[in-house]
Amino acid sequence: MNDWSRRAWSVTTGLALAVSLVAGGSLALAQSPAGSIAAGPSPAPTCTPLPPLADATASAASPGASPVVLTNLTVFAAASLNQPFSVMSQSWAAQHPGSELTFSFDASSALRAQIEEGAPADVFASADTRNPQALIDECLAPAPMVVFAANHLIIVVPTANPAGITSPADLATAGVRIVAAGDAVPITRYAEQLISNIAAQPGAPAGYADAIQANIVSREDNVSAVLAKVALGEGDAGIVYVSDATGADGVTAIPVPDDVNVLATYGAVEVATTSTPATSAAFLAYLMGAEGQAILAQYGFLPAQ
Amino acid sequence: MTASVPVLAGTRRRRRSSHHSVDLGPVGIVLSVVGLLFLGLPVAALLVRAVLGEQLLATASSKAVVDALILSLFTTLCSLVLIVVFGTPLALLLARRSFRGKWLADVLVDLPMILPPTVAGLALLLAFGVRGTLGMPLDALGFRIPFTTLAVVLAQTFVAAPLYIRSLRAGFASIDRTVEEAAQVDGATRLQLLTRVTMPLATPAVGAGLALAWARALGEFGATIMFAGNIEGRTQTLPLVVYSKFQTSLDASVAAAAVLVMAAFGVLVAVRLTRWRAGVDGRGMV
Repeated sequence: MNDWSRRAWSVTTGLALAVSLVAGGSLALAQSPAGSIAAGPSPAPTCTPLPPLADATASAASPGASPVVLTNLTVFAAASLNQPFSVMSQSWAAQHPGSELTFSFDASSALRAQIEEGAPADVFASADTRNPQALIDECLAPAPMVVFAANHLIIVVPTANPAGITSPADLATAGVRIVAAGDAVPITRYAEQLISNIAAQPGAPAGYADAIQANIVSREDNVSAVLAKVALGEGDAGIVYVSDATGADGVTAIPVPDDVNVLATYGAVEVATTSTPATSAAFLAYLMGAEGQAILAQYGFLPAQ
Repeated sequence: MTASVPVLAGTRRRRRSSHHSVDLGPVGIVLSVVGLLFLGLPVAALLVRAVLGEQLLATASSKAVVDALILSLFTTLCSLVLIVVFGTPLALLLARRSFRGKWLADVLVDLPMILPPTVAGLALLLAFGVRGTLGMPLDALGFRIPFTTLAVVLAQTFVAAPLYIRSLRAGFASIDRTVEEAAQVDGATRLQLLTRVTMPLATPAVGAGLALAWARALGEFGATIMFAGNIEGRTQTLPLVVYSKFQTSLDASVAAAAVLVMAAFGVLVAVRLTRWRAGVDGRGMV
């Protein structure tokens, strides 16, 4: 019995020691700047770049007898790509036996953070070029980035339009409940650009940007959540991508004039740790190919310039 | 309505006595009813929506929901195995032995239960992530835990184990030691004592602990999305479907949520039946 308790005591002490080690080590690691893109100018990559995927792209893209064996692919994609990518996954699987697409949709910024923490993505398709570029800079993705689509912004209101919004200027009316996305989410940066474009126009309402800022009642995780909250009537308006509003239930789109609109460019990269570089390259080629582009266009995306 | 009041007050003694509402005036009854409605209304609204939404069956059988259901069942089963294998001896240790620093072991066991799940997820990531304390050496050996199905299991195990351990610990503590001593006198070995006497006597506590731990694991969200991500078919469990589909297809979100409500309801009923049959007082188990 005594022997037992002594043993148990040492187990507990060991456990406690381990816990404090974990806590201490983690704290130290948490303070290390690795993986942070907000930390100013990033130092030049010191990693050995992985072989570029151009060769693989060429061989996988050429139809006919391809020696490349395709496997299942995990695609981390911006929330706004949910619908076209889901459609693509069916025709992809039909055309590429033995390869199925698995998705994780969220804000591009959240997905980038997950890849930095070791998430097993093969391809990262972002709603901007900044997040994939960050992965390239961190040696977590081999260059080059594939710019595969573009998008414009649009205002959505619930079908009933309780706040009576008819133009971008109405967003600044006191009491309008605007649903926005979090600071790091790409749509937020584009939306802020749009708002400052409008504010800079001659004849713009005074204090336009500040008034909109004051009207924001919620900051959602990603653009899909913004659209969902507006569709449920939990907000009077939100700024989303044109593609989000295409075919969406429960919302009415209020167009934004072209001269102030912002062009969002979508970039995709292969992730360095992918176990299936050939399949990753084939998917990027598919995305840029006729069918991928047609499906994107069907959901309101613009071709990449 | 009056019949439900003594149950609401929560004391079995009062239910058996013939005196009603001695200390509960009309105001108390109204407050109780409002409280009960508040607790019941959201669940009722969800279920009504699930039943009225005519696409429920179609969405409930959609690939995303079915995949998530299978994944949830598989991962929670794995979590329960881990919890039983490591939690049972730990519960016995905490119930039967006294040793220096035991309070710390108690706190460590209870901690995951009251930690916010996002904190649990972050802590798991800092321990097992690619830059984590244990994750970095593992990564060097070629093992990557975060954002895999294994990460889902670890997150569930981390948050659900305390429920099982606490239940079992209370069960072990309530066993009459003289029964075990009698078996020892009769020549039972340590293993026989455990498998023939102690564990059978603790069965109700095992059942209740397993049911509660399973429900907690099934509902795990915050630690999972932080530590395991949200990958369809691989780490997207039912609660994550509720979250993700809310943004794209409310019907699918409601369908997944309805499945979870029914599972939770079933667990609570099962726990009550277990305790009632065993005549165990549930206090101290949860």
